[in-house]
Amino acid sequence: MVSRSSLASADHSPQMDQAAAEDLAGAPAQRDDGPRIEVSQLVVRYGDTVAVNDVSFSVRRGEQLALLGPSGCGKTAILRAIAGLERPASGTIRIDGELMHSSADGIDVLAEQRGISMVFQSYAIWPHMSVFDNVVYGLRVRGLDPATVAEKGDWALDLMHMREYAQRSASKLSGGQQQRVALARAIAFSPNVMLFDNPLSNLDARLRVEMRVELRELQQSLDLTSVYVTHDQEEAFAISDRVVVMNKGRIEQTGTPEEIYNQPCNRFVAAFVGAANLIAGRVQKDSREPGRIVFEMAGGILLQGHAQHAPQGDETQVAVRTAHVTLAAPGVADGPNAVAGRIRRRLFHGDFIQYLVDWPAGELVVRRPPTDVFEEGAGVVVSFAPEHCILLES
Amino acid sequence: MPAQGVGLSARLRQLWGRLASVQGVTTAVVFIGCGTLVLYPILFLLLESFNTGDPVAFPPERLGLGNYRDLALDLHIVGNTVLVASLATIMAVSFGFLLAWILSRTDVPGRRLLERLIELPYYMTPLVGALAWSILAGPKNSFLNQLWRATGGQGDLFNSNTAFGIAWVMAFFEGTVAFMIISPAMKSMDPALEESSRILGRSKLQTMLGITLPLVAPAVLGSAVFVFAEMLGSFAAALVLGLPARFYVITTAIFESTFSYPPEYARAAAMGFALFGVMFVMFSFYRRIVSRGVHTTITGTAFRPRAMAMGRWRWMLVAACWVYVFLAVVLPLAALLLTSFQRFATVMVRESVFTLANYRTALQLGPIRIALMNSIFLGVSVATVGVLIMTLLVWIIYRSSVPGRGPIEYLIMFPQAVPRMVFGLAMLWAWLNIPVPIYGTLWLLALAYFTVLLPLGVRTLAVVVLQIDRSLEECARMCGASWAYQLRTVTVPLLRPGIIAAWLLIFMASVREVGASIFLMGPNSKVIGPAIISSWMSSGTELTAAMALIQTATVLIALVILLRSVSMISGESQW
Repeated sequence: MVSRSSLASADHSPQMDQAAAEDLAGAPAQRDDGPRIEVSQLVVRYGDTVAVNDVSFSVRRGEQLALLGPSGCGKTAILRAIAGLERPASGTIRIDGELMHSSADGIDVLAEQRGISMVFQSYAIWPHMSVFDNVVYGLRVRGLDPATVAEKGDWALDLMHMREYAQRSASKLSGGQQQRVALARAIAFSPNVMLFDNPLSNLDARLRVEMRVELRELQQSLDLTSVYVTHDQEEAFAISDRVVVMNKGRIEQTGTPEEIYNQPCNRFVAAFVGAANLIAGRVQKDSREPGRIVFEMAGGILLQGHAQHAPQGDETQVAVRTAHVTLAAPGVADGPNAVAGRIRRRLFHGDFIQYLVDWPAGELVVRRPPTDVFEEGAGVVVSFAPEHCILLES
Repeated sequence: MPAQGVGLSARLRQLWGRLASVQGVTTAVVFIGCGTLVLYPILFLLLESFNTGDPVAFPPERLGLGNYRDLALDLHIVGNTVLVASLATIMAVSFGFLLAWILSRTDVPGRRLLERLIELPYYMTPLVGALAWSILAGPKNSFLNQLWRATGGQGDLFNSNTAFGIAWVMAFFEGTVAFMIISPAMKSMDPALEESSRILGRSKLQTMLGITLPLVAPAVLGSAVFVFAEMLGSFAAALVLGLPARFYVITTAIFESTFSYPPEYARAAAMGFALFGVMFVMFSFYRRIVSRGVHTTITGTAFRPRAMAMGRWRWMLVAACWVYVFLAVVLPLAALLLTSFQRFATVMVRESVFTLANYRTALQLGPIRIALMNSIFLGVSVATVGVLIMTLLVWIIYRSSVPGRGPIEYLIMFPQAVPRMVFGLAMLWAWLNIPVPIYGTLWLLALAYFTVLLPLGVRTLAVVVLQIDRSLEECARMCGASWAYQLRTVTVPLLRPGIIAAWLLIFMASVREVGASIFLMGPNSKVIGPAIISSWMSSGTELTAAMALIQTATVLIALVILLRSVSMISGESQW
């Protein structure tokens, strides 16, 4: 498919054959610039169901990558396969160039030997230990001397502002505190790679927003390379450099948060990430190059749009983000993609107003700031910029 | 295709890589060990059941179906067995259902205490119940008959040595079992289901019959099947009450044919195997009923358990519970206590001669003291070693991803479907015929206890293992801990409540074991359960009562420790 091959090149991880990969692993000079985590043609099965179906991506040194998708899309399975907690059916996983898993060669490095750290959705705080014992577990496993253990444990606790709780029993912490202990434990032994499995999903909304900021700062100050699994698009956008959108075990789109939001490549991404209007019609025959296209919607109205791929001619939908549509009184605004409509319903949400507008293609959902007030029943002109009218792959 | 060849050899290499680890080796040893312990005796029993030649010869000289054909000759025994099992099942399930409904769905006072007391008969064992009821209601000079005559009655009103007598004693034991199966179903039922029936105008009784009963029907039916199957294999009560009256059920018939001269091992094996087959089918049936019934009563939404206000009726209901406790616990224990302190058992206090001699004899007389010590020693060592192995086993079955977990789980639950005494017979035959000299030693008893108690220990530990969030262990691995390190620092400490509970349950079950022990103990490896039976048959009632009470006391002390530690642990988690 067009999108996936274009993604692969955007990844800087052209699929290499076995021999070339082996060469790379053996060349330390190249390793430093190379990707830290490489997942190639990964397949994970649970019994007869295929959870992850032929997924490839890579994460650069110091990069934060988010795996975003609805529950059951396979994102957690990928994370667990990287961690070594799940055994893939096929594919390879490399960390720092070293082969961690290769189904073809029967290689599967044990989870505890991969040097990875992970933060679990349930925090996985051991209730029978003190906060301090939880945090230094990874240090003690490595047989460090008590002085180093204490020093590094305190450093990690300080970083998470949990020093004063060190001797508390871990079972007597609030959710937010447990989250901090889990983070301190994960970073205490200075791992190369961090994996986050929905780490904020059990926190209440306010705390979640706070922790997002803190996590982002932590990742950048420690220069962590991380993979972050979430089903919350706001979280994925706020916390990562690059986002992989997944559905049904496959990658739908990879890109920066801005790319994913502004240029969704297909119907799934447009609908799952953010709110978008999907407008039916067909692409004009003379639009055959990526870039500006003309799209004919219901009522024969022509829209100026944008395509990231070379249109095949059989595309039937464009997507317009609800926030990218402007409303104006009739006669005030004019330009490309200005279409007359009528306000049917106004829903006041506080931070924004959601309008349901009747227009030739049925209903258009428009999200405006609370300062843009139109009465129900009023005639309006809706308009949106051509670069916000994205042709979706069929 | 070359790709296929690569795939196969890679898969073999993967498999080998998995097996060569510490975990792989442990898994293989535990699986093979436990599998052998369970299957080996049963295969021996199966083989012997087809032996139509000399019953004591091994290997069999002639094979055939003769022994199974002969079962038809013993049709009256099958009839007796079904009669006793049916009577006991009807009584036990009625008791269990009523008690479960009263204690989980109504607002009677003292529910928590009553729940505890109702579990007691299960720990007291059928043997103790049978001894007590034999003293209370046996033919001739039993306590109740003495009272009947003292109040002017003629002849003997009571006779416990009948089918009904055996069923009566067993009903109190199995009533607890039925209660324990039905009660959780009652508790997990959304009270709104009952309340909406009341709001729509139905009375409390109509609600119970029309709503509660159908909703818990799977649990009630399940408990009936379970109790009936257990009854088919029950032994001690039928032996104590049935043997004096020459009333045989299938288990006592197996016992007779093994200890008759010459021993009819083959006939016993055929009966035992047939019994095993029937029980196996019934237990499988039970599992299906229970697994299907789960969805019908448990709603996804959270609800507060609420009890129905019963008004004046609550006093009648609570009285019914106390009557049950009186009949199942107080009366039998009182009868044993009174007897154990007397020179000659009588309920007429004026005629009593009180003495401590029975206890002195029980604790000082060589054979009895040794039997008691052996039982306690076996209980402690089987529980300690057993819990260790079972913890590993449970972890491997429910947590790891090694192949063959499903079959091995099924296999170790096997002994539950094999009546203890049939398993004892199978082990007797199996270990008599291989050149490992452990027959007649405590080693054989220890192996037998471990094997028959596998399901109990594994089930107890599994409940706790399944409650431990998997990520707690995975996190240890991600922190760099090896499997063994993770087991030691995370899994075992978290399992501690379950391990303590399993230890005490196995200890109690070992100390009160009868069915398997009776076949496997030798002159130098006596244990208390069979010693009580032989004392009952050869010495006096009074000494036997003292022995039974000492055994019961040992078990109850362990039970108190168990309840203490469990409530301590659950109290801790509330903070």
